[in-house]
Amino acid sequence: MERAVLHAVPLGQMEVFQALQRLHMTIFSQSVSPCGKFLAAGNNYGQIAIFSLSAALSSEAKEESKKPMVTFQAHDGPVYSMVSTDRHLLSAGDGEVKAWLWAEILKKGCKELWRRQPPYRTSLEVPEINALLLVPKENSLILAGGDCQLHSMDLETGTFMRALRGHTDYIHCLALRERSPEVLSGGEDGAVRLWDLRTAKEVQTIEVYKHEECSRPHNGRWIGCLATDSDWMVCGGGPALTLWHLRSSTPTTVFPMRAPQKHVTFYQDLILSAGQGRCVNQWQLSGELKAQVPGSSPGLLSLSLNQQPAAPECKVLTAAGNSCRVDVFTNLGYRAFSLSF
Amino acid sequence: MSSESSKKRKPKVIRSDGAPSEGKRNRSETEQEGKYYSEEAEVDLRDPGRDYELYKYTCQELQRLMAEIQDLKSRGGKDAAVEIEERRIRSCVHFMTLKKLNRLAHIRLKKGRDQTHEAKQKVDAYHLQLQNLLYEVMHLQKEITKCLEFKSKHEEIDLVSLEEFYKEAPPDISKAEVTMGDPHQQTLARLDWELEQRKRLAEKYRESLSNKEKILKEIEVKKEYLSSLQPRLNSIMQASLPVQEYLFMPFDQAHKQYETARHLPPPLYVLFVQATAYGQACDKTLSVAIEGSVDEAKALFKPPEDSQDDESDSDAEEEQTTKRRRPTLGVQLDDKRKEMLKRHPLSVMLDLKCKDDSVLHLTFYYLMNLNIMTVKAKVTTATELITPISAGDLLSPDSVLSCLYPGDHGKKTPNPANQYQFDKVGILTLRDYVLDLGHPYLWVQKLGGLHFPKEQPQHTVIADHSLSASHMETTMKLLKTRVQSRLALHKQFASLEHGIVPVTSDCQYLFPAKVVSRLVKWVTIAHEDYMELHFTKDIVETGLAGDTNLYYMALVERGTAKLQAAVVLNPGYSSIPPIFQLCLNWKGEKTNNNDDNIRAMESEVNVCYKELCGPRPSHQLLTNQLQRLCVLLDVYLETESHDDSVEGPKEFPQEKMCLRLFRGPSRMKPFKYNHPQGFFSHR
Repeated sequence: MERAVLHAVPLGQMEVFQALQRLHMTIFSQSVSPCGKFLAAGNNYGQIAIFSLSAALSSEAKEESKKPMVTFQAHDGPVYSMVSTDRHLLSAGDGEVKAWLWAEILKKGCKELWRRQPPYRTSLEVPEINALLLVPKENSLILAGGDCQLHSMDLETGTFMRALRGHTDYIHCLALRERSPEVLSGGEDGAVRLWDLRTAKEVQTIEVYKHEECSRPHNGRWIGCLATDSDWMVCGGGPALTLWHLRSSTPTTVFPMRAPQKHVTFYQDLILSAGQGRCVNQWQLSGELKAQVPGSSPGLLSLSLNQQPAAPECKVLTAAGNSCRVDVFTNLGYRAFSLSF
Repeated sequence: MSSESSKKRKPKVIRSDGAPSEGKRNRSETEQEGKYYSEEAEVDLRDPGRDYELYKYTCQELQRLMAEIQDLKSRGGKDAAVEIEERRIRSCVHFMTLKKLNRLAHIRLKKGRDQTHEAKQKVDAYHLQLQNLLYEVMHLQKEITKCLEFKSKHEEIDLVSLEEFYKEAPPDISKAEVTMGDPHQQTLARLDWELEQRKRLAEKYRESLSNKEKILKEIEVKKEYLSSLQPRLNSIMQASLPVQEYLFMPFDQAHKQYETARHLPPPLYVLFVQATAYGQACDKTLSVAIEGSVDEAKALFKPPEDSQDDESDSDAEEEQTTKRRRPTLGVQLDDKRKEMLKRHPLSVMLDLKCKDDSVLHLTFYYLMNLNIMTVKAKVTTATELITPISAGDLLSPDSVLSCLYPGDHGKKTPNPANQYQFDKVGILTLRDYVLDLGHPYLWVQKLGGLHFPKEQPQHTVIADHSLSASHMETTMKLLKTRVQSRLALHKQFASLEHGIVPVTSDCQYLFPAKVVSRLVKWVTIAHEDYMELHFTKDIVETGLAGDTNLYYMALVERGTAKLQAAVVLNPGYSSIPPIFQLCLNWKGEKTNNNDDNIRAMESEVNVCYKELCGPRPSHQLLTNQLQRLCVLLDVYLETESHDDSVEGPKEFPQEKMCLRLFRGPSRMKPFKYNHPQGFFSHR
C-alpha cells in the first residue's frame, strides 16, 4: 500500500480474502511489451497483469494508472517466467508455455494463442518451467525447469527439437551467449553448464560451490541467477555473487553481498542484482558496491530493464518480488513509485 | 229640618188621609176613598202663585202685628192686654195660615219631586233599554265580523289539485256533474276524497307499525341469541386450553401476546410481528415474547399536563426545602441525560434455540427519545460451561454479537440526528452507555424497520415492515451461526489451552498421521500488544487488525525450534478466516520478511483456508489451521538442507515423504499434503 491504513475498514469475507491474497502475493516474472509501453507481470496465483508504463509515467498519472489495465488468469500454477517476442508474450508456469498476442492482450477475455508442453519424463509431478530464453537466430525458445532438462522449441512450428540433459537437479536460470551461440544454465545442483545449441552438447561446466572464494555452504549450493556478457558471466544464489571469466572458468570478482541473489543483469558498465533484502544493488565491475536502492518488497525476484527503442520515455527499471508491487525506478538512484496488482 | 219634623208630625196628628204610617196604612186604606180630607187634592186646586202672595201677605201681617204688639208692650197700658190678646189671636191665625202654606209647599214639593222622580225613572228605563240595544247591536256586529272572518279548517288542508282529484277520485265521490258547477259541492267532494284517502293511509300506517313491531321483536330475539353465544364461546375457549397445550398450539397465549403487543412502540411492534411470522413460517426454534410493564406503557400516553403539574409541584416543594437540596447543575444534566436515554417500558425478547440446546437470548429495547433500538444478548447452554481463560471474550454479552455484519460494531448510534441531541446534554458517544442500554447494532435497527440513510437524512424515520422482513431470515441465520461458532470455539479453546489441537475425525484426512510438532501455549493477547509485535506489521498496515477483533498467541515447538503464531480472530469467524502471522526461532529468527518459506507457510494457512474449513458449518477452521501449522513446521524443519560445513547429523531427520524438496525460483518447500497418498508436494 502507498499509505498505511491503520483504522479497521469494515471488511466482509470477500474483502478480507482479497486483502490476504494480495498480502501473500509474489511476482515472479516481468516482461516488457515490444512497443515498450506496457509491462506484463506474472504472480504466484497464475495471474498476469498488464500495466501501462506510459500512463503511469506520464505527468497526469493518477492512482488508477498504477493499477493494471487488465488482469487475467493465465496459468493454474505460478507464472515463473515470461519473455516477449516482437509480437507475442510467452509465459510459462506449471509445465507448459503459453503464448499471448500483445495486440490482443489488453482486451477482456483474452485467450492464449497456443500452449505447448515439452515432453517430460516423469509423470508423477508436473515440473515447473523456471526460465525461458529466446534464441533469435534460430527463432526458437529454450525452456528449463523442474525436470532438469533444457528443451528447445521451434517458435514457428512449435515442435520440441531437442532436450539437453546434464543437470542433476532442477534448473533455475538461463542465459544466452550471443556470439557462439551458447546457452548457459544454472541449477539447484550448484553447477553452471554451457551448452552448444547446434551440437546439443554440454561444452563447459562450472561447479561454483567447489570454489572456495564464493561458496557459502550455509546458504546451499544452488545457482539462482545468471547473466552473461559473452566473455564474462556473473552468477549468484547460494554461493556469493561472482563474476567469472568464461574461457578460463575462473572467478575474478566476488561481490560482497551476504544475501542470496535471485536476479542479476549487466547494464551498461554496471551489474545490477537483486535478491533477498529490499534493495536493488548496483555493482561496479571491480566489485565495489556503487549503490543500494531500496524497493518496497521485502525480497526481490526479478528485474526488468525497459530498453525498447520505440519508447524511450518508458526507459525504466522495474523490480518485483515478494509482494504485490512492482517498483519503478526512473533513475537508478531512487524508487519513483510502485505499480500494484 | 222643620219640614222633616212637620212631616213626622203630620201623619201623627192629622192622619186620617193621605199617607198614614205604615202600621195604619192597611187599615185605613179601605176608608180612604169615601171620606177623608186630602190635602193633596187641595194642592192641585190652589195656585202656587196665589199661595206665594198669601204667604207674603201673611208674613207682612205677622210682622205688623208683632210690631203693634211690640208697641203696645212698650207703651204699656191696661187695654193693651186685650189688644195684645187680640193681636195674638190674629197672629196665631196667621201662624196657622203659615203652617198650612208650609204644608202645602211641602206637598207641592213632594209632588214635584215625585213627578220628577217618575220622569226620571222613565228616562232611565229608556236609557237602559237604549244601552241594551246598543250593546246587542255591537254584539251582533262582532258576531257578524267573526262569522265573516271565520276560516274553516278545511281551507288549511292541502287538497290534491283539481286535475288530480278528478283523475283519481272514484266517481261516487267526485260526482263530476254536480261538483263542476258548484264550488261548494266541489269542495265538499274534495274533502270527502281527502278523508277517504287519509283513512286508507291511516290504515296502511297502522299495518306498517304493526309490521315494524313484529320485526323489532325478531331482532331482539336474535340479539339475545347472539349475546348468549359470547359466553358460550368463551367457555369453549377455556375448555380447549388443555387441548391447545396438548397439541402445542398455544392460540390463547398468542392472543394474549398480541394484546400486549398493541402497546409496543412501532419499531418493537414491527420486530415482534416479523419475528413471530418468521418463527411460525420458517424456524420453529425461534420464540418471541414481550416483557415489561404494560401499565407503564399505557401511562406514557397520559396527557402531559398532569405530569407537568406534578413536576412543578415537586419543584416548588423542593425549593421550599433547604437550598442545599436543590439539584446541582451536574445532577440536572445527569437527569436530562437519563431522560434522553430513557427506554420504553416494554421490550421484546427473542430466544433462538440451536441444535445443541444452547439458547441465545436477545432482549430488544427501544430508546424513545433517540428513536433507535438496542439489544442485549446472553448465551445459555444446556450444560454449565467451564470457561477457559482465553475464551473469556467469546461469549461475553458485550462482544458476542459484535460485527455480525462487517463493520457493525454497535458502539455508535446509527441515527445521525442523535448527535445534536447528545450535544445538548453533553453525551459524547453512546459507547459509554452500551453496557447498560444494550448495543445499537445496524441490524437491530433494520429488524425494527428503521432505516437511517446517510446521504439524505430524514426528519422522521418510521418503522417499515418490509425492511424488517427482508433482513429477518439472514440475520437469524447469522445469529445462529455466530452462537454456534462461538460455542465451538469455546470448546476448542479449552482443549487448546491444554496443548491439544482437537481435530475431528472427518478432518483427519487433511493431515498426515504423524505430527511431531506440538502446540504448547495458547493465550489471548490484547489488541495493543498485537500491534506492537514486529512480525505483524503487514497485517496492521492492511487494516485487518481493528479493535473489534480478538487476538491470540500460539506457540508451536519441536525440539529447539519455536514457532510463534499471532492470530487475528475476526468476529465474523468462521466465514472470515483467522489470520496467522509467524515468527520462527531456530537458527536465527525467521519471519516473512527474511524467509520465503515462512511466507509460504503463512500463505498455506491464510490464503488456502478454504480447504481447511471442514464440513459445514466449518467450525473446525481454527483447529485445522493450527494443525496444519504444526504439519508445516514439521516439513520446514525436516526439509531444511543440511549444512555440510556444520558437524553432526540433522536435528530433524526427514520423515515426510516428499517428491522434491525445492521448487521454483524461490526454492519453496513442499508444504502441500496430498491425501490419501500421504506425500508432500508443491502448489
